[in-house]
Amino acid sequence: MANESDVRYYKPRTEFALDIKDIQNFVYDMSRCIKCKGCNWVDHTYMPGAKFMTRCPSAEKYQFDAYGAYGKMRIGHAFAEGRLEWNEKALEIIYACTLCGACDVGCKRNLDLEIELSLESLRVKAVKDGVGPMPAHKKIAENIAKTHNMYAAPHDKRKDWLPAGITPARKADVLYFVGCAASYTNKEIAQSVAKILKAAKVDFMLMPDEQCCGNTLFSVGMLDEAKALAQRNIDEVRKSGAKTLLTACAEGYRMWKVDYPKLLNISTADLGFKVVHLVEYVDELMKDGALKMSKAFATRMAYQDACSMSRLSDPWTPYQGKRGWMGCVEPRLKRRRGTSGLYAQPRDILKAIPGVNLLEMPRTRENAFCCGAGRGTKEAFPDLAKFSAAHRLEEIKDSGAETLVTACPHCKNNFAQAIKAGNEHVQVMDIAEVICASIES
Amino acid sequence: MDVKQKLSQVVGADAFFDDPATLQAYSGDFSDTPRRAPNYVVKPKNAEEISGVIKFCNENCIPVVPCSSKVHFYGATIPKEGGVVMDMEKMNKVLEIDHDNRRVRFEAGVTWEKLTQELKKEGFRVIMPLTPPAQRSALTDFLEREEPTNQVYDYGEPLAAMEVVWPTGEIFRMGSASVNGYPDSPSKGGNPSGPGLDFYRFFQCAQGTMGVVTWTNLKIEAIPRIDKIMLAPITDLAYATDFLYRILPRRIGQEVLLLNNVDLAAILAEQPGDFEKLKSSLPPWTLILVISGLKRRPEEKIAYEQNFLNQVIKNEFSNMRLGESLPGFPGLNSKLLKILRNPWPADVPYWKNSVKGACQTLSFHTRPLKAKHFVSLVEEIASRHAYSVRDIGIYIQPIEHNRACRPEFSFFYDPQNAEEKAAVRRLYKEAAIALINEGAVFTRPYGELAPIVYERATGYVTQLRRLKKVFDPNNIMNPGNLCF
Amino acid sequence: MEISKEIYRVLADIVGDGYISDDPVVCEGYRSGPGGYESGLGYERVMTKVPGCVIMPKYTEEVQKIVKVCYRHEIPYVPYSTGFYGPRSHPHVKGALLIDLKRMNDFVLDEKHFYVEVGPGMVYSPIQEECMKHGAYVVIGGGGAQASAIANLIGDGWSPLSHRIGLPHRRILGTEVVMPDGEILRLGSLAQGGDDPFWGESPGPDLRGLLRGYTGLRGCLGIVTRMAIKTLPFQPERLVPTGISPNTALALPEKRIKWINFVVPSKDAQVKAMKEIGHAEIAGAVTKVPLFWRAIAKAECKEEFWDLWGKENEQTVANFHIVRVLLIGYTSEEQMEYDERVLMDIMTEVGGVARRTKPSDESWIKNADSAGMWLMCGGYVSVDYVIETMTQAPEHGPAYAELKKKYTPPLMPDYGDPGWFQSFEMGHQGYSEFLVYWDQDDDTNPVDQFYVDTSKMNIKNRFYTSLLGPHQPLYLTGPKYGPNYHEFLLKVKNEFDPKWMSHPPVPLAHDVFVERAPWMHNMKDWESPKDLDKIKD
Repeated sequence: MANESDVRYYKPRTEFALDIKDIQNFVYDMSRCIKCKGCNWVDHTYMPGAKFMTRCPSAEKYQFDAYGAYGKMRIGHAFAEGRLEWNEKALEIIYACTLCGACDVGCKRNLDLEIELSLESLRVKAVKDGVGPMPAHKKIAENIAKTHNMYAAPHDKRKDWLPAGITPARKADVLYFVGCAASYTNKEIAQSVAKILKAAKVDFMLMPDEQCCGNTLFSVGMLDEAKALAQRNIDEVRKSGAKTLLTACAEGYRMWKVDYPKLLNISTADLGFKVVHLVEYVDELMKDGALKMSKAFATRMAYQDACSMSRLSDPWTPYQGKRGWMGCVEPRLKRRRGTSGLYAQPRDILKAIPGVNLLEMPRTRENAFCCGAGRGTKEAFPDLAKFSAAHRLEEIKDSGAETLVTACPHCKNNFAQAIKAGNEHVQVMDIAEVICASIES
Repeated sequence: MDVKQKLSQVVGADAFFDDPATLQAYSGDFSDTPRRAPNYVVKPKNAEEISGVIKFCNENCIPVVPCSSKVHFYGATIPKEGGVVMDMEKMNKVLEIDHDNRRVRFEAGVTWEKLTQELKKEGFRVIMPLTPPAQRSALTDFLEREEPTNQVYDYGEPLAAMEVVWPTGEIFRMGSASVNGYPDSPSKGGNPSGPGLDFYRFFQCAQGTMGVVTWTNLKIEAIPRIDKIMLAPITDLAYATDFLYRILPRRIGQEVLLLNNVDLAAILAEQPGDFEKLKSSLPPWTLILVISGLKRRPEEKIAYEQNFLNQVIKNEFSNMRLGESLPGFPGLNSKLLKILRNPWPADVPYWKNSVKGACQTLSFHTRPLKAKHFVSLVEEIASRHAYSVRDIGIYIQPIEHNRACRPEFSFFYDPQNAEEKAAVRRLYKEAAIALINEGAVFTRPYGELAPIVYERATGYVTQLRRLKKVFDPNNIMNPGNLCF
Repeated sequence: MEISKEIYRVLADIVGDGYISDDPVVCEGYRSGPGGYESGLGYERVMTKVPGCVIMPKYTEEVQKIVKVCYRHEIPYVPYSTGFYGPRSHPHVKGALLIDLKRMNDFVLDEKHFYVEVGPGMVYSPIQEECMKHGAYVVIGGGGAQASAIANLIGDGWSPLSHRIGLPHRRILGTEVVMPDGEILRLGSLAQGGDDPFWGESPGPDLRGLLRGYTGLRGCLGIVTRMAIKTLPFQPERLVPTGISPNTALALPEKRIKWINFVVPSKDAQVKAMKEIGHAEIAGAVTKVPLFWRAIAKAECKEEFWDLWGKENEQTVANFHIVRVLLIGYTSEEQMEYDERVLMDIMTEVGGVARRTKPSDESWIKNADSAGMWLMCGGYVSVDYVIETMTQAPEHGPAYAELKKKYTPPLMPDYGDPGWFQSFEMGHQGYSEFLVYWDQDDDTNPVDQFYVDTSKMNIKNRFYTSLLGPHQPLYLTGPKYGPNYHEFLLKVKNEFDPKWMSHPPVPLAHDVFVERAPWMHNMKDWESPKDLDKIKD
């Protein structure tokens, strides 16, 4: 046996950072995929049976290996090494993907490869190379630039959702960041949030001039634009003196908690305020006795774990280090495996509502199947969004649920359309609405 | 070259025969297959002699018919096209009994009698089919996939690595016996599979058409310390089947089988007249179930199986009268255990032949659910052929925790009565066709059954013939059998 | 031959436009490496090619039509179920058609008759879950829960659960194969017509022998499109999934299933315990795994693994004697209590001491976490996995460990770990497996050489081995096993695939690799035909 010191760590260590601006940071990860397809299958321990076996909407719809992370890693690797030319198919493969993170947590069960970051970085490269994003994404970027929201709705109507009788505080510890969807297309969510906070006697403020969180910009690889918004929004909160940034939008939650720090190369802890989703906040209020779910809702209910508040929501810490023999890194890296997702809180809330029979779908928590709408997918690839929602709806029906609860307006809207298209007998509600209905006398 | 001279040279003059009396002895068996004598008989002593014979025969396109047993029921060793019968009687050595790995290695000519006796001396047994004739080759029965009465072992097939001589004369060891220098090797021959292909599969149910097996390894088991034989009279076959569906997946029992009154009477009859008496007094079916205490804590093993059975019977099968004796037949249990654990003695006429002198059997695989229907179907066909339903012997062997079963129908007849013989032959053929048309699975197509089966398996036949051509380009190995 | 536009159109008409692509980006997604089982090694770099086209049939009839088109136009093709098995299941020649079988994932379960019927796209964990819901179980092969059950059963197919269940070959029931020239072969009860696959044996000689050898043929003798797989009765209680990924496990109903780890005083005691357990006909699994697996199980990340493993040395490895036993109450709780009493008797006799063992299963029953073995590095291969007897099994690993010293580095330091061995088929057989790890960024040529050297070691020591058929140079192992099994294998290949279109140049691919890789030339001390390399690339 050779001397241990001769064997271990003799290879020169290479520097790298978890920085999506440069695809070279992820060549290691992309070249270590073993095609176990843990990114595609539900965690085998939780594998529910011969139905609902997979977790990747893109791979489920398009089937070719190229659309699963196992294929995308190979394709990304080839792009990073300049072995492949961009074409339309390449853009479809890279963008017809919800970046839902299912692949990332699947991989981190076995290999700890940075799949999500690799995929994000690949989109950044596409933009840098002048081929990305997709035309629909460019339109959203234009909308945001012009009207500060993704829908091109009038900016001055952003606060029109405010219900009568509720006036936000000028100054409060809690700043409710409403987001584009709840401001314009899903006002019922914002209104419910406001009512819940009022019921709990929690003062909240709004941003004086709220603008888009930049989710789509970031997700499609337009880092410069996304970074500008991140900086602007964080500055606004800091200026406001709020201690807690509250959101009821899963994608907004992820942006504030994970991707703003990522864009600005800071830790989540360094934001200067706490980012919480409504379900965390209500869960605490409930446990503190400040809120009580009193009104019965007799229904068989299923809960959709929105990707951005579950497996994608581990806090961010910038990392720069060296990779040595066997891929070991220094300094130690706490991998983001999706374990601190908001899995228990929404369930505890829903179970506390009298009459609710909360059923678990076969694919649940970190194994949940994405609705297909998020991160710019629905705008550029409506067929994929439709497919995913319809696919998940089969599972919802299979579970016997009659009410589907979401915690993200994008999920809600996508499911609502799928339900309508399929003429299904399932109602979809945001969790804010459900809570609100249960506490309203 | 003169055939006699060459073959005598290979096996020795004392192991070569071409005298009419010897040749005639190989011309027929207990089956209905037309008689035909070989041109020569050789009795090789080892693989090299076998190889020499086969090489010569292959070069000269002379058929070779391997013959390992002294008792044959299916006509497979009757030389359909003449040639050389290769009698394996001199290859009758039990080569190794390996306690550690519970393995025996023995030659093709080793009889059931010899194998079981040798093993018994060292505390072992093989799981065996129902009453194999003492003088039959044990290896042949395993190659031909006779179903053992003991189905509790999940591994299923007990055959392990073996040595063969290909139809072109090469000596070849299979599975883990394929290593250089075997048996002088750490590899002991416990794995039949490989190298490269699962060659051993080609020899299963091949009736000697794919080459000659010289020796094999076989799994053996320790003889149980305690046995408790349990019997139940059965009137409703479906009820018994349901019971077996319930208990066998729970790994209850060692030997488990169902016999109808005719077969059980034939097995038990010792004196003339016993058969009829027993047949009329035995219940329509008898379930035989042996639970055994093994090497360690034997009483406790018996106890948990017994407790499980008691619970199931009490709660779910209250009509199942499973006990240590069959009402009206004292002492039957100990007698049956001896029958189940030993070959059929050579000096006692085989039970299938003792009823009327000869017997035509028809066996196949099916789902237990369908067994009752197949019994009715055969009975209906038998009655059309004036064969009394009350005279059909039926043995149902549950297989693999009762996920399948093998029904075996015995039609007893007087071989001297040409009319009766012809009737049974017609009945056999019609029943086979009817059964196969309803999904019965025939994996051992002997004689007349072969064309019936193979005309329904044309795709399989095409590929099988391609394979046969690879190994036996001149079709010298036992031609006229199967689809070759 | 290249796939022309005309041929592409014909193929597209068979499956529909959405299920075929020759786009270079789509094809790149099917590259074998550089990561994965045996990838990053010379064999992958020298022998694998990105496919020229990918097609995804849904039905046997489509596979048959595709193969017939390929045969007519002399287009090499490769069947592909999940792609997990590494370079040997990827195209070896330029412009090959990769037939991706993932859409063929039908599943039928017959609870009463203990079998499932699946297509090649169906993987193990769903099968196991469905089986367990109905009181049955299968062996999830070491390939992992994500392996195609069919591919695994015609390739490898064993795990610690094989202590009771045994060889995979015997669980193959009614099966449908598209032969290399496109003809259909139906095996078992399907052979006689009809559509009931419950029985595995066919009339007369059993052509299941063509599906595999002791290990698999990697698709060079046709494509299995459907198979009924025998399941075995299990116990009835539910095994409840717990935890959040990556720390998930099945909680075991302790009165019906439990693992018990025993520390025993010596290797002799270890082997004796295993043999006695087999002789006593108890337990559902009996195994001894490499010590570094324990570090893998404990570590939260690869850096922690190396911290833990770095504390070991030759002494601690040599003194690690554990026997891990899985008890299953197949019949009843009382039966499991009986098994436990017998087990404790045996352990008392050999001086074994039971250690506290978690009442859960992280691996083997459902997850079979082969993929998790990569956690600490990027390169991994089970260099040998052998089913023989309990005589060979304990001797086999140490011989490997000795040879491995010569190749460490680049192989990882394992302090002489003799690998994994266990009982098979109730102790009638013994299983040994030897695993090696390396960093794929190192000079891996010695790993390629080690691989061939292991074959020579097996030949010299007269060990049976999985490194036969397409897994090593056929002309190296061929003359030494059987003897000359390679001649018969090649005759069979030539008969059923005279044009060598089904995954060329398997089963001679490793021979070709040795010829093409300069760093392998000094390893070659065996004879092979001169025209090996004429096989088109």
